[in-house]
Amino acid sequence: MNRDQELREGLDACVHCGFCLPACPTYLALEDENDSPRGRVLLMAALADGTVRADDRDITAHLDACLGCRGCETACPSGVPYGLLLEETRARLAKARPVPFVARLVLAVFAREWLLRPALAFARLARGSGLAALLARVLPAGFGMPFAMLASTARPAARVWTPEGDGARGTTALLTGCVMEGLFASVNRATERVLIATGHALRDAPGQRCCGALHAHAGDRATAQVLARDNIAAFERSGADTIVVNSAGCGAMCKEYGHLLADDPAWSARAAAFAAKVRDAHEVLAAAAPVLPATADGPRVRVAYDAPCHLQHAQRVVQPPLAVLRAAPQVALVPLADSDQCCGSAGIYNLVMPDVSSRVLAPKLARIAESGAQVVATGNPGCLMQIGGGLVRSGSGVSARHPVELLDEGYARGAGRD
Amino acid sequence: MTPLGPELRRIVGDAHVLERASQLLAYRSDALPGLRRAPALAVFPGARDELIAVVRALAAHGAPFVARGAGTGLSGGALADGVTLLGLHRLKRILALDPEARTATVEPGVVNALLTRAAAPHGLHYAPDPSSQAACTIGGNVAENAGGPHCLKYGVTLDHVLRATVVLPDGEVVILDRGDEAPGYDLLGAFIGSEGCFGVVADVTVRLTPDPERVITLLADFTTVRAAADATSRIIAAGILPAALELMDRPTIEAVESSIYAAGYPRDAAAVLLVEVDGAAAGLDDDAAAVEALCRAAGARGVRTATDPAERARLWQGRKKAFGAMGRVAPHLVVQDAVVPRTRLAELLDTIAAIGARHRVRICNVFHAGDGNLHPNIPYDAHDADEAARVHAAMGEVMAACIAAGGTITGEHGVGLDKLPYMERLFTADTLDAMCALRDVFDPARRANPGKVVPVHSCREWHAAPAARGLP
Repeated sequence: MNRDQELREGLDACVHCGFCLPACPTYLALEDENDSPRGRVLLMAALADGTVRADDRDITAHLDACLGCRGCETACPSGVPYGLLLEETRARLAKARPVPFVARLVLAVFAREWLLRPALAFARLARGSGLAALLARVLPAGFGMPFAMLASTARPAARVWTPEGDGARGTTALLTGCVMEGLFASVNRATERVLIATGHALRDAPGQRCCGALHAHAGDRATAQVLARDNIAAFERSGADTIVVNSAGCGAMCKEYGHLLADDPAWSARAAAFAAKVRDAHEVLAAAAPVLPATADGPRVRVAYDAPCHLQHAQRVVQPPLAVLRAAPQVALVPLADSDQCCGSAGIYNLVMPDVSSRVLAPKLARIAESGAQVVATGNPGCLMQIGGGLVRSGSGVSARHPVELLDEGYARGAGRD
Repeated sequence: MTPLGPELRRIVGDAHVLERASQLLAYRSDALPGLRRAPALAVFPGARDELIAVVRALAAHGAPFVARGAGTGLSGGALADGVTLLGLHRLKRILALDPEARTATVEPGVVNALLTRAAAPHGLHYAPDPSSQAACTIGGNVAENAGGPHCLKYGVTLDHVLRATVVLPDGEVVILDRGDEAPGYDLLGAFIGSEGCFGVVADVTVRLTPDPERVITLLADFTTVRAAADATSRIIAAGILPAALELMDRPTIEAVESSIYAAGYPRDAAAVLLVEVDGAAAGLDDDAAAVEALCRAAGARGVRTATDPAERARLWQGRKKAFGAMGRVAPHLVVQDAVVPRTRLAELLDTIAAIGARHRVRICNVFHAGDGNLHPNIPYDAHDADEAARVHAAMGEVMAACIAAGGTITGEHGVGLDKLPYMERLFTADTLDAMCALRDVFDPARRANPGKVVPVHSCREWHAAPAARGLP
């Protein structure tokens, strides 16, 4: 099926029932049906039909305002492939009108290691020196949030333990990612330790790059394809049976490489084979069902789980992160209302559309406060920074952590007691 | 006089008035696929005072308007053909919830399911549960007198609304109360189900219902649709009043089972019955056993019982999302709504099947069997002119058959625009005239939801009110 047909069939699948409205964070925040999935499907159809122009701001503003969280997909009875429609439409729009400057800048940096590495190193410096935390406090809302996000990625020194495993579950390679390795390196190390401890043999995959999700979502499909090809080649060289991803957004993208490169005869089969090997870290860990000794002694931490959209709605991985958290003996899970609603991070959305993003974040922070949690756990760097930054800005004592970090801490406690 | 657009902007702010055609694209349709009408303007008040000021501004301009909640209606009732669309979705506050009195007062844009969610910690729920409850609003429910699977036992919206603050189309604010002992005519009763033709609600006070002590949900599967319909009659005849009694036929089962709401319905069944009994825990097992025995006696191949909440929820999700799931089958969909005497269900289903076969269209039945409320739906491709014509013809015959059997043309979706042509088949000119006269009590200028419910030419005095014809 070509991309035109795919778009037409996807648009036609919508029967206008409106069941997506309450699942859409931007509809709830902006209260205009043009900013709802049903409305946007109509706008995308009008663009596809050519009845409206690609430079009509009345149309494009609403498509730009979509988070791409795909919360509508898991509410849609008729199976509208919303994420696919949005990506295709944005790719077409990107040809017809310029991408916003901030977005172009960020995307350009992420596609070039020689810019990305120094940028992340500089960010770590700002974080380590306390500059980020200072600016987060003193700058007004729009300017302070990026620094609050950065400050929230600081971690206390992890208790390092040495995992032992038999490797019986086969070989795995970790997609270390750009933001994950740049700002959440400790989460990557934790992921590697628990993978080994649960019987996985780790392989390196040198030469891997940014997954391209940010580019694909912004309509820059060509760059996303370049990055995908490099990643496919790197992981083929690793020889790993399973490609583990601990960032929900990257995992969703990697699982869609087959579709991304479907038009490329030289790569389509390799891309499909790659995609079939991709697993979210929580899927792999939950399948291994680690059993840790209960900690009767240590204090238990109240943890609320917030589902990253690209795990819950795009990958449809719902239970495994909860299983991972339950396996961590120091964790006491508390329910979080609307945990399946987007936090407003959405890749670079919070940088490009800070106002809407913060309006989407506000109810999330309120639900977290109501939950009584001390820690909110979520398995995606964007969500960790958005929620973490929001918590920093609001002066909340709650911290945002990756579920795998908490499992790793559970292991570390056990190791300390032996 | 200030033009209407700028005046509305002054009241609600620029962001909440849409006037350009490209801004109004998304407001050309409700949940009835196929019917589209472009509004001239859309305005979304965000507070009660704004709502009243907007209605008064519309009155001052003599401007007709159409109220809209979430746009989940299935009769085109919220389409604004060249007039102002008054969106009430921003009025979404629960103003009061009194667990002791078991009442809640809500603004019209409150989503039905969110009211139940707010009541749940008190062991209460809002009983009317239309299939669109996750999205539809209480204001829309009042306008359409919405039902739902559980209205078989618990009644429709009319039975759960105690009081409403109504902004009449001329801007006057009145309170329609129906305290248990309120004397005089039941004006609130007349208002509920008036499909937006009598005014707009600013707030509604509803009854909340205690959650049943226990619920048992049964899924019976049948090898013929007739046997399933027969089981329905047997259950009711035995004096059992289930909380819900729903029938789905094979094409519906297939659509649901292919969707993300797959409920585990047997794909090879000709029909399934979803039966729910609820109430005091004591004796409920007997009711469930009786239902199972009656189903088996009618020829059920198997009967499954769900007692854990997760499985119950799954069975219900499948039923409630069935209409949307049909979007998988074909790009377009006709959703129908008719009521027939329950005793003639089996016969009517045979007739409907014959009509479908004759016109070569695929009719999916999913309906409230317990009260004879049919929903024959036809997925089709509107781009195929021949198929579209056959679908249209088949639907006309289905409605005629329902009327001939002593039934009526809508159980809960309303007349709106879609059912307008059938009104004259069902009512005499005198009756339609009486309806127009009743409307005049609330909206003498006939500016609220013009051109809906009663066919314009049926009203003898229609031409006295040019605004009602949608003229600016």
